[in-house]
Amino acid sequence: MAAIRCAQLGLSVAAVEDDRPGGVCLNWGCIPTKALLRNAEVLHLVERAADFGISVGEVRADYAAAVKRSRGVADRMAKGVEFLFRKNKITLVPGRGMLKTPTTVLVGAHTIEARAVILATGSEPKSLPGVAIDEQVVISSNGAVRQERRPASLIVIGAGAVGVEFADVYRAYGAEVTILGALRLLVPIEDEEVSAQLARTFGGRGITIKTGVKVSAITRGGSGAVVETDAGRFEAEQVLMAVGRGAKVKDVGLEALGIAMERGFVRVSPRMETSVKGVYAIGDMAGAPLLAHKAMAEGVVAAEAIAGRDPRPVDYGNVPSCTYCRPQIASIGVSEAKARENGREITVGKSPFTASGKAVALGETEGFVKVVADTATGEILGVHILGPEATEIIHEFAVGRTLEATLEEMIHTIHAHPTLSEAAFEAMLAALGQAIHI
Amino acid sequence: MAVSKVVMPKLSEAMETGKIIKWLKKEGDRIQGGDILAEVETDKADVEMEAFGAGVLRKIFVPAGETAPVGSLIGVIAEPNEDIAGLLAGAPAAVAAPAAPGPESRRPEPVASVVPAATGGGRVKASPLAKKIAAQSGVDLRVIQGSGPGGRIVRRDVEAAAAGPVWSAPAAATAPGSEYEDVPLSQMRAIIAKRMPLSKAPVPHFYVASDVAMDRASDLREALNALEGQPKISVNDLVVRACALALLAHPGVNASFQGEAIRVFHVAHIGIAVALEEGLITPVLRDCHAKSLTQIAVEARDLAERARARKLRASELSGATFSISNLGMFDVAAFSAIINPPEGAILAVGSVRKVPVVDGDAVTVGRRMALTISCDHRVMDGAMGARFLQDVKRLLEAPLRLLV
Repeated sequence: MAAIRCAQLGLSVAAVEDDRPGGVCLNWGCIPTKALLRNAEVLHLVERAADFGISVGEVRADYAAAVKRSRGVADRMAKGVEFLFRKNKITLVPGRGMLKTPTTVLVGAHTIEARAVILATGSEPKSLPGVAIDEQVVISSNGAVRQERRPASLIVIGAGAVGVEFADVYRAYGAEVTILGALRLLVPIEDEEVSAQLARTFGGRGITIKTGVKVSAITRGGSGAVVETDAGRFEAEQVLMAVGRGAKVKDVGLEALGIAMERGFVRVSPRMETSVKGVYAIGDMAGAPLLAHKAMAEGVVAAEAIAGRDPRPVDYGNVPSCTYCRPQIASIGVSEAKARENGREITVGKSPFTASGKAVALGETEGFVKVVADTATGEILGVHILGPEATEIIHEFAVGRTLEATLEEMIHTIHAHPTLSEAAFEAMLAALGQAIHI
Repeated sequence: MAVSKVVMPKLSEAMETGKIIKWLKKEGDRIQGGDILAEVETDKADVEMEAFGAGVLRKIFVPAGETAPVGSLIGVIAEPNEDIAGLLAGAPAAVAAPAAPGPESRRPEPVASVVPAATGGGRVKASPLAKKIAAQSGVDLRVIQGSGPGGRIVRRDVEAAAAGPVWSAPAAATAPGSEYEDVPLSQMRAIIAKRMPLSKAPVPHFYVASDVAMDRASDLREALNALEGQPKISVNDLVVRACALALLAHPGVNASFQGEAIRVFHVAHIGIAVALEEGLITPVLRDCHAKSLTQIAVEARDLAERARARKLRASELSGATFSISNLGMFDVAAFSAIINPPEGAILAVGSVRKVPVVDGDAVTVGRRMALTISCDHRVMDGAMGARFLQDVKRLLEAPLRLLV
């Protein structure tokens, strides 16, 4: 995104990449996992085909085929990026880049000179201290997304987005899944009500959830691995490490140039410039949230800054957060608890999908839209959605917040009927005490 | 029967929101057109809001103490049997107002328009949230610079303004020995500060001055004020009356530059500047051309008193065709004033002073008053302003004509 925007702005661009262009998201993260989750969703639909009066006979789900499909999706998207690079005359330099000076990058024996450098090395899965990821027994999301084998049992360590998404996929394909979370709640960055309901749903699907658990050791043994915790021993064929990701900042040449760091990430200005003039950093390596869409927004800012434009800085308070388990989770802004903690007088409106005609027709009534707003002004402080297509519904709130619309303008926006977005509309009405359908 | 929407009136050119100080009628009260419904606080003054429709005040949407944007629905007047469900459902969730109960939605009945004509004014580009925060924190959006796309005022601009020195409570006491202190702008001072350059810079002013012999006018005034049971007449009343007559005779001065045309008025609505602690305000004495000196005296006094008490009505705050600023009480020889657009001229009135006057071959004591008219050169030329001023002078020097 940064490279393409730079090229569009008339700059001459070289991109250095030791993998395929597209980054973690396209190759190993967002895109291929969404393909796997779609498989899980289709499987789920087929299994309840009888609800729709459709008999399908014996259902056989081939996990290896799901992974192959997922790789195909990633390949296709990577080709798209390669095409865009060609179209924008971006020189793709394969290999690992190393910053030599603020204007020179070493790639193997080659040296590339440039007026400005954008660092976008991304991140990699973290592990627990003393636990090595071998991608056989102890795997990371990198291994999970490409392994065609589906373990009979899996322990997921970490209850964030990556953890719950893989738990969903493997459970759909019949694995015994246990999630061990260190914090009190499942998906702990989300609103508490979302966490609670997802935990109930996952529990109902046979996923074992243990939260507030401290892992002390992981050893080989039993059917594969044994996880020792303060809540007892857990055994499974594989362990998925989903305890977070760390910035890839080693061997980039940061230390030699004295590029300032902050909590393991590169420190950047609102123009995405590092402490060294002419060197920019974007994406996961430039700090939380570690999300592709945040990285893309940063890429555009950096490109425009380099091209001499005056870019509008990224609004980090307005980045939607999306998790693609079933039901999906999407949120923006602060949780209800956080809003209360901030001392604002708030009003909360909630609308369950059971009240949405479209959701009932789809047969996907689980979840709700919850809107947290400032009582005095109607400012939308936070929105939390659990349910069908939550990740699509969230955007009206993102747009509204960008434009600083208040509930009053939002509720005077006609929402098409019947749509899932009506639940969003209804939740806003509820926040104003004007709900019609609930 | 028609249903009348009660909306927050635009009580001054600059007004964007108004705060209901109190409702003088309550829900269920019968209303006649012209009844005073409520008192509204604007950026300039507290004004009384009149009812435009007749019926029963069925609903109040914005309770006392709350603020609503200009043009927003604040109440409904209708006959008791009238169906106003549509209006109730469509009521704005006014700023922090409790939500209206939500009956099944209906199309609003066609309503007779009772919205007083807005007097125009430039639109302020601001986000909805910025507007609400501004209304609640008392920040005037017109005096702040927007940092959003295209200069749009966004939340951070209003918050900065609210926290900034201009709008905050008076800054901490001046340090001992300091050579200055920063006095925060009052709302009124901020508006004056913003508006005056909009007059002085774009309106090409020219000035014409003349001395008026006030001997006879002063004698006349003394005689009138000696009468039992008559209202007191001020020098300014005489000037207002003289200007009203002269304006009818010189419509070119009683005119406004409208870009493509010059609007010439056939009535004399005269703005009379009233000095207040925190600035000044120019209430309008309407139809001066049709009023006797006594009427002018009574009404001008009432206007000035209510201006000081911030009790002016909407109609009294705008619509002047000409203005008068009188600093006579301050022993001022002469001064010139800045035109208040869209008016075409303003007359500055000095003190009546005793001066040596050459009368034949003798020097006697005479009473003189300096008049300086500031004119918009786009509307008129020097000769026109001079002729008008000559006429005002003649009227004041032969003051019996002011009585007939």
